[in-house]
Amino acid sequence: MKSVIKGTGYILVHAPDMVLHSGSTQRMERTINGESEYLQKLPHHLRTFDEAVAYYPNQVYIGNKTPEELSKVEQPWHDKLCPDAKRFGKFGQILPQEEFLLLMRACDVFDLVHLRREFVARTKAAFAANALLGESILARVGEGEDMDEIARRVDEGRSEGLYHGGELVGCVDRAHEIDDTLSAHVMHENIVYKASCVLALLSAVKNAGIAREDVDYVIDCSEEACGDMNQRGGGNFAKSAAEIAGLANATGSDCRGFCAAPAHAIIEAAALVASGAYKTVVVTSGGSTAKLGMNAKDHVKHDLPVLEDMLAGFAAVITQDDGASPAIDLSLLGRHTVGTGSAPQAVISSLVTDPLDRAGLKIRDIDKFSPELQNPDITKPAGAGDVPLSNYKMIAALAARRGEIEKADLPAFIERHGLVGWAPTQGHIPSGVPYLGFACERIREGTLRRVMVIGKGSLFLGRMTNLFDGVSFVVEANDGKPDAPYSETQGKKRRPKIALTGMGGEHGEENAVLAAQMAASRGVDVVYIGSLDTKDIAAERVSSETQAHERMEQLLQSGAIDGAVTMHYPFPIGVSTVGRVVTPARGREMFIASTTGTASTDRAEALVKNAISGIAAAKACGIAAPTVGILNVDGAPQAESLLRALGEGGYDICWAASARADGGALMRGNDVLQGTADVLVTDSLTGNVLVKMLGAYTTGGSFESVGFGYGPGIGKGYDKLVLIVSRASGVPVVANALAFAAQLAEGDVRSVVRREFEAAERAGLSKLLAARGGAKERAPQDTAEVSPPPAEPCTESISGVDVLDIEDAARALWRAGIYAETGMGCTGPLVMMSDKNRMRAEEILKEAGYIE
Amino acid sequence: MSILKGKKAVIIGDRDGVPGPAIEACAKSAGAEVVFSSTECFV
Amino acid sequence: MDLENQRRVKDFAEQYGGENVVVLLGAAEGEAAGLAAETVTNGDPTYAGPLTGVPLGLKVYHVCESGVRAEFDRSIYDEQVGMMEMVLDVEDIEKEMTSIREQYCKY
Repeated sequence: MKSVIKGTGYILVHAPDMVLHSGSTQRMERTINGESEYLQKLPHHLRTFDEAVAYYPNQVYIGNKTPEELSKVEQPWHDKLCPDAKRFGKFGQILPQEEFLLLMRACDVFDLVHLRREFVARTKAAFAANALLGESILARVGEGEDMDEIARRVDEGRSEGLYHGGELVGCVDRAHEIDDTLSAHVMHENIVYKASCVLALLSAVKNAGIAREDVDYVIDCSEEACGDMNQRGGGNFAKSAAEIAGLANATGSDCRGFCAAPAHAIIEAAALVASGAYKTVVVTSGGSTAKLGMNAKDHVKHDLPVLEDMLAGFAAVITQDDGASPAIDLSLLGRHTVGTGSAPQAVISSLVTDPLDRAGLKIRDIDKFSPELQNPDITKPAGAGDVPLSNYKMIAALAARRGEIEKADLPAFIERHGLVGWAPTQGHIPSGVPYLGFACERIREGTLRRVMVIGKGSLFLGRMTNLFDGVSFVVEANDGKPDAPYSETQGKKRRPKIALTGMGGEHGEENAVLAAQMAASRGVDVVYIGSLDTKDIAAERVSSETQAHERMEQLLQSGAIDGAVTMHYPFPIGVSTVGRVVTPARGREMFIASTTGTASTDRAEALVKNAISGIAAAKACGIAAPTVGILNVDGAPQAESLLRALGEGGYDICWAASARADGGALMRGNDVLQGTADVLVTDSLTGNVLVKMLGAYTTGGSFESVGFGYGPGIGKGYDKLVLIVSRASGVPVVANALAFAAQLAEGDVRSVVRREFEAAERAGLSKLLAARGGAKERAPQDTAEVSPPPAEPCTESISGVDVLDIEDAARALWRAGIYAETGMGCTGPLVMMSDKNRMRAEEILKEAGYIE
Repeated sequence: MSILKGKKAVIIGDRDGVPGPAIEACAKSAGAEVVFSSTECFV
Repeated sequence: MDLENQRRVKDFAEQYGGENVVVLLGAAEGEAAGLAAETVTNGDPTYAGPLTGVPLGLKVYHVCESGVRAEFDRSIYDEQVGMMEMVLDVEDIEKEMTSIREQYCKY
């Protein structure tokens, strides 16, 4: 059973008076030096409610602005007002302090919270207008009490004062005369926590569109503790908040793990749902008074507003699979273990690459990483730096160290796979989870596929261990398929059925029958379509090649077979074929992305489509990030620049580097023999030659004995799995083609192809191809006389200009005052210029349509 | 003259910089005696 | 710097003598490193902890500074700190630390 994230809720409470009275930094300061300059200055640095609402990161937290919008706002953010700021957002709301005090009263079941009658009277209308809270909570607020009694209790030290705008408006009593764990201070902290937790729970339940009665279980993941002196952390915040929130059918428990607790709790919730123990589990947390103004000394010192004036809460509703909501992949969990150690690289490896390695994925296969998302506006002035950015730098450095990205691509990687932080420093709140709301939206709309959430915890602060902690999990698109029960996925999968049409080959139909038997003996489930008898193999009797193709198509159409191997079979225009050969130098396998038909009438466009098809086939065969090289044929440089533009648009391509001394993604003949790239992209006729040559080089030519044939037809919108072999293919090649087909079917090649073309489309494939056609027409035939600027050494070069336009391209540069020469490099024609003119020259050539 | 060899090292690591135990391993390798190691947290 | 950590630093300086103690920091950026270094040399600049007005003048280094880095076993340093060093602004940290040492370090 899959578990999915059905909805999330994010809330903030503006609590300026609690910064002064309850924040641990201020409490310590008051104990040590009650008259300090800092304490005197502090009240002048507090924000108004409207200022807090208009603070950009807060608007992101409740979903009114996106992280992408925030990333475009120049830091610092505290001096900029967010346009169209609102108190309510799609994920939740920002509650003003005075209304929150009433909610605290509503959450008190021990008659500990007392509010002034006048204060309740003037606040109640606004509180009642909050649609989220409902009658039952409103009814718990009461009418308030006389001021004298409240003031007396606070003076006597029996109660913790509740303030608003500097005025005493209520108090929280101690719950025991002697027991420290039930002191007024602790009760205040816990009731604040509980009230913000209730608000988060209600928001998430509403956003998930479920009934309160549907919730079976609540997991609280804060850093607070409730209990008495005999069980200081006895708990159960979860159930006490569920009670007030009206989740009548729920029980729950508390999960602790410092700042990592939310990530732990979501994994636990997902596992509880996946196991079938509960159908709907809500993970929730409220905010922490202790951390209000935690770094306020630094903020005051730098003359900033106190940015830690917000209590924060979040909740996420995890349910059984609904076929649409983003799923939590329990096979992709990262964990920092006792043995991992505390070296930052060991920590990040355990959380990021270890789970990916186990699943055969690359770092780039995760579209977005959501580590701790502390707001850098808060942490930078406090000396903690930009925490999310450091995490991204570590992940990028890890990817570079593993050779998954180039060092020069580090900033681009961080930009694409990272986020800016917006979460208030409420300890556990930034723990990766603030992005869940946006992540679920992006995954549902298809712009992201996989998001990794990383929680980290500073266990050493508890003085029980020096260990660090952390866990990670991946949220991914719901494939809409019901997941098999856990025990079945461990067992055998149904083997795909692959048909072979046997007539029409140059080595006789017996060749095909022997191939079918060879494949069957290696475990492929083969259906033979032909005129000969087959022992032990399912057969469909036909009497001609045409009949065989008709039968094959019927079987494919009906779903009776998953794929077929055939020969002499036409594909529609736009379909590439991806062959697979064994290269002679080292026996390395290589995919030849080409076509037996017509991928496009334009060479470069055809090469681009072949490349995407080749990547899809390689991925379906289990190569998570196949390396791609383009055979140096006509149009290859243009195809390369188109594919690189696609890469800039967000379509990940892992480029191969030629084994020749000058490297580059354009492959020479040597690379063909060495199998330098996983996927070699080439045009139709060259591909045909290569597959035949590399199939028959051991036999002298007539009998292809090595490799897997021309492979599957792959194209946008083409959904049949049909593989082609040559009529000269011998038994081993045909048998290999059957195994190749089975492997593609098992790798769900259709979905992979769909995803690849969708990803390429998102990166601007159609636009790029359209612009290319336009650019070609725009490039003027350059005949006007122009004399070259003074000669200078040409140390730089630009490739990718069509050989017919190369002189015109140089003249275009001359006209702009850039001295340029032309030449032929080993990967094609070049325009050469000095180092200092390189960038400008590129711009000019792009502008004029000479290069992409 | 060496800075660490034979000295008593007091280590104040940072959760979002270099944590205490990682510094501790380095200090020991330089011949210092680690008398205290902790990690601070600003978030 | 955390008050308990300040107390420990003070106690160790008394117990072993300031000349025998070296403080090693792992702060995430220059200013924070500088503040911690100032605390163990010139006293707590925030006037909050036991080191307020106590100029211990201890030798203090950030773990990524070239001076101490050279003394570590290279492979251990690479394993424990190497990647974090790539992330930190070591130049800025080194600048802050050097300035504090030049002003306040007694040993």
